[in-house]
Amino acid sequence: MLDMAIDSTQRAPQPGPRAFLAGAGLVWTRQRILWWIFAVNLVLAFAGASFVAHNVAENSGAALNHSLESARRLVEGFDLSALGELSSLPEQPLRGTRTMFVWPSIFFTLFMIFSTGGILVSYYDDLRLDAAGFFEACGRHFWRFVRLAIYFIIVMIPVVFAGSAVGSLYDNVDDASVSPYSSVAFLAAVTLLFLFVLISIRIWFDMAQIISMAKNDRRMYRMLGRSAKLVWNNFGSLFWLYIRISVVGWVVFAAGLSLWMLVLPPDSTGPAILVGQAMTLFWLGTRLWQHASETEWYKRYRTALYQPVPMPPPPSVPPPIPDVESLPPS
Amino acid sequence: METAPAAGGVKIENSAAHCANGAKRHILSGRGESHIARGQDCFAQTHMPIRRIFETALVFGALFAAPMAGAKRLPPQKHAKTPAPAGAEPSSLSTRVVAYKIDATLVPREHKINASETLVYKNLTGQPLQTFPFHMYLNAFQPQSTFMTEMRLYGTRGNSSGTDWDPKHFGSETVTKLEVDGIGDVTKSIHFIHPDDNNAQDRTVFQVSLPHPVAPGDSVIFHMNFVDVMPEVVERTGYKRDFYMVGQWFPKIGVWWHNQWNCHQFHATTEFFADFGTFDVNVTVPQDDVVGAAGDLVSSKNNADGTKTLAFHSEDVHDFSWTASPHFTDVEDSWTGSAGTVKIHLLMSPGHMGSAPRYMQALKGTLAYYDKNVGPYPYDRITVVDPPHGAADAGGMEYPTLITAGTTWYMPKGVLEPEAVVAHEFGHQYWYGMVATNEFEEAWLDEGINSYEEVKIMDALYGPKTSMINLPFAQLSDAEAQRTSYLGLPDYDPLTRFAWKFVDDQSYGGITYGKTATVLLTLEKMIGEDKMREVMRQYFMRYRFTHPTGADFLNTINEVSGRNFDWYFNQAVSGTNILDYEIRDVHSDPVKWYESVSTGPRVYRSYVTVHRNGDFVFPVDVKITFDDKSSQTEHWDGRDRWIRYTYERTAKVTAAEIDPDHNVWLDSNFFNNSRTVESYHSATHKLLNIWVFVNEWISQLTSWIT
Repeated sequence: MLDMAIDSTQRAPQPGPRAFLAGAGLVWTRQRILWWIFAVNLVLAFAGASFVAHNVAENSGAALNHSLESARRLVEGFDLSALGELSSLPEQPLRGTRTMFVWPSIFFTLFMIFSTGGILVSYYDDLRLDAAGFFEACGRHFWRFVRLAIYFIIVMIPVVFAGSAVGSLYDNVDDASVSPYSSVAFLAAVTLLFLFVLISIRIWFDMAQIISMAKNDRRMYRMLGRSAKLVWNNFGSLFWLYIRISVVGWVVFAAGLSLWMLVLPPDSTGPAILVGQAMTLFWLGTRLWQHASETEWYKRYRTALYQPVPMPPPPSVPPPIPDVESLPPS
Repeated sequence: METAPAAGGVKIENSAAHCANGAKRHILSGRGESHIARGQDCFAQTHMPIRRIFETALVFGALFAAPMAGAKRLPPQKHAKTPAPAGAEPSSLSTRVVAYKIDATLVPREHKINASETLVYKNLTGQPLQTFPFHMYLNAFQPQSTFMTEMRLYGTRGNSSGTDWDPKHFGSETVTKLEVDGIGDVTKSIHFIHPDDNNAQDRTVFQVSLPHPVAPGDSVIFHMNFVDVMPEVVERTGYKRDFYMVGQWFPKIGVWWHNQWNCHQFHATTEFFADFGTFDVNVTVPQDDVVGAAGDLVSSKNNADGTKTLAFHSEDVHDFSWTASPHFTDVEDSWTGSAGTVKIHLLMSPGHMGSAPRYMQALKGTLAYYDKNVGPYPYDRITVVDPPHGAADAGGMEYPTLITAGTTWYMPKGVLEPEAVVAHEFGHQYWYGMVATNEFEEAWLDEGINSYEEVKIMDALYGPKTSMINLPFAQLSDAEAQRTSYLGLPDYDPLTRFAWKFVDDQSYGGITYGKTATVLLTLEKMIGEDKMREVMRQYFMRYRFTHPTGADFLNTINEVSGRNFDWYFNQAVSGTNILDYEIRDVHSDPVKWYESVSTGPRVYRSYVTVHRNGDFVFPVDVKITFDDKSSQTEHWDGRDRWIRYTYERTAKVTAAEIDPDHNVWLDSNFFNNSRTVESYHSATHKLLNIWVFVNEWISQLTSWIT
């Protein structure tokens, strides 16, 4: 009953700024989680990409591995027509490219649903989890978070419909306006609005995960309700926490991409791999950072509300009861 | 007036003001001449960084002088000092078969054009003519027309196959009255014909029969009233908001060619064919419209009803189009070539001014290239129309002395599409405009030859490896873009197929544009660049202002080169043969002790097997490289299906490569042209790295739902 009251009505006593840094600290001190997730992401992506690379090697008549032409056009620069030519070969060596992206994404998403429980418990508990504890937490929360993911998809349906409606609206604005910038401004505004909505929804569901984990409560629909009230009452603090980490991620991504595309020579494979994987690792880290910061925020929030109430001053000392024996006989 | 220093120290004078008609106009300063000189220098350079080109910063200046405001007589159209073809009047460049006089009034509220037309047709066919066919192109934009039926089946340049009919694209052209001098009203004898497909619903060609024939050498005068309903922009023409691109808009007589009328229906993939002549066109539009047209402005007067009437004159051309919008900014400049000064107008749409210097630089470079390598540009003007956003289908089109381009507000500098479009469409002034081949039947002669010239110009101006895309992380050359465009469907249709008989739009585009350019690039490598330039110049000079055929072009090549390339043309032009040679096998074996008589250093027997994959026979060079850095080049006539070269050396073979100098652009697979003994994985690793990275990110984005 006490928790209910906390989730529904209370504002956080400004735990944000500290949660931001504490979240980063949690990701750092529990970086084994980050490395494992990164490894799974990499292995799945590599498996998908290798499948296509194998196809290319098998079906292009040694086009890539034994061809001087591929070296000239793909390694010493990146001639876009080389990809076009590869795809137009009768053997279709680039077929399967779509599959390459679909399956790793599905598996990685399932993996993340599975591991989120363990991640949150690791960040919430003061004690480091061992592997058994981590996977126990993963298993405990897996079906809860599957249900939550389904709710998330349901919530996203109207957003998607709104997106297509906005698309039509964009066409109308673009059609009616003499200047192309009207529709550009419209698109920019709508993009920002959608970003805001999407982040808000994500924060809502993140907090539902955390509350469920903290209370070990499997009633996800109810958790969503509590989370909604909590986020509503503390939106500024949570949004600011989330967006700051996102911005850090975007900036690092842009810097990494610039380094890769503009600075590294086209034929430098090793450094390009390092830069690309560093970007991926950091981006993954920012997502965990968001989880950790939100968890830390919630923890501090609860702690703040559980501050021991100062005991009321003891009542004034009553006059000592006279010793019965000392009383004069009546 | 603002003056500001530009990159490279070029002074920019920028003066913008509003003309009487409300249009902003910019005039490039006199420094434009120095830009031309730089532009010409560009051709000697194989790699010209784009930034340096922009350092020739175009200078925007004061108002476009007032020809459109108030009636004013302009100097007569200037003609180049070029000989007229046989049959032409002494003062003209062409044999003038037609003389059109059109009065057109735009009714913006209804997107209609009410017009009257007088056509004087001179019978130069040498025989009496009694029936006369006319094109009615705008009727193509109706649901059951041949154009729309074909578009739904296999797509066209602006729409993919299966595109549904959209009523906003309805267009029509109706002749309400047709009279013939000396005969009277023949409106009732108009009937639509369908010479190509018997589609009774197609109304893109009508024919009228006269009671008595027109004798050879006589003229017949048609008077007609017609009404155009303009579609929302579709396939080169129409309106978008208050922008109008008015092309293929008047009843146009067919061409008497090869002893019969040549007047095809309008198809999804076809363009146009018409006789040369003169055009006097009066256009009445709202007073605040800026008008561009394929003719010299002769006069302009404001009318009491808020409209203005502009009179245009054009001669030695075979079509007339015009455009109007109150939002055009007219960027004016000039260029001087061997035939005199050419006035340049860029009619820029809102939000696209950033592309104006790019258009201008490409246009001047293209003018200079053609002047130097092909022949003089004899007209005194060229107008580039930049369609507004949402009207892209009006872009990338050519009319005599007026072309349409295409850009966007965000066009990155490294994406050279605006430049390529301008280079291509201006090239049509030569290949279609002056060398007026039949675009219905032999589209490769205008689109293909023009695509080849586009490659040459883009390579010269923007570098041979970066002439289409020049981004830090990716490049694309125009030549590669042309070549790759036909590889998807390389063997369905020959170049010589009638344009509407290709298997689909993709084959039409790939073969007509891409394969022709690639065929000519390969030919250039065989005869040499100088000889190829001479071929193009001779072909142009001989056939300008006429209607040559493919045979005329191929004969010119044989004649100028002094060689017979019929073996090549039979496969590449009129055939669908695939050219693909591959290195099948490369390896070395040590010679066994019992096979060798010498006791010196170890000897290896190396084998290189070359295979002709395709059915196109072409002589090729094969370069074999050994591990002692030596190499040997073999020449194979390519006739047999395969050949094996064997060497006994102390060095082992390391690689073999067909066409080491990259002369055979027509080879459909460059990747199998070489083979190394050692496997190296740089390309695979690079692709793998990109794919892994993208894959990781897509996975992470997907997992955002968790």
